Amino acid sequence: MAAQISPTDQAKLQMMQEMEIEMMSDLYNRMTNSCHKKCIPPKYGEADLGKGESVCIDRCVAKYLDIHERIGKKLTAMSMQDEDLMKKMAGEQK
Amino acid sequence: MTTQVALDSLDKDQMKTFQDFLMSYNKLSEICFMDCIRDFTTRKVHSDEERCSLNCMEKYLKMNQRISQRFQEFQMIANENAMAMAQKTGKM
Repeated sequence: MAAQISPTDQAKLQMMQEMEIEMMSDLYNRMTNSCHKKCIPPKYGEADLGKGESVCIDRCVAKYLDIHERIGKKLTAMSMQDEDLMKKMAGEQK
Repeated sequence: MTTQVALDSLDKDQMKTFQDFLMSYNKLSEICFMDCIRDFTTRKVHSDEERCSLNCMEKYLKMNQRISQRFQEFQMIANENAMAMAQKTGKM
């Protein structure tokens, strides 16, 4: 199996993997920023996370990833629809 | 001489970790400065400003820890689901 992959393909595959890792860490950073903004009020009376803050963070992470997935699904569906439409248009013009 | 050896032993991963550390240090300073420092009538840092900043830092680190835990849990579930899907489609 592995021998069938050409070096150029392998390089591409590696680049894709690196892009995915970068994307994941970007997602993580954005999520951290958002959940900090939404859950931690800028009053720092104590250094520990409060109960409400902790619960808020848990829900924030769950919700953020949920929305990320939903938007991803919709985005793929829309771009696929777009592609179909473009193909149809190109077919009609001939 | 010792620095030479230390530099040689630094690999790419360690450099990345160091870079991440510096970045989060800067971000932490920015966040806690913005949230805690409001008085610019004096150049001295108030004791409550210092307390606020230090609490801010500690809380932020704890928040980061929690977020990373939760994130890993979700990642694991997503992985399991993907594996299950792959097995299902493989059987069909």
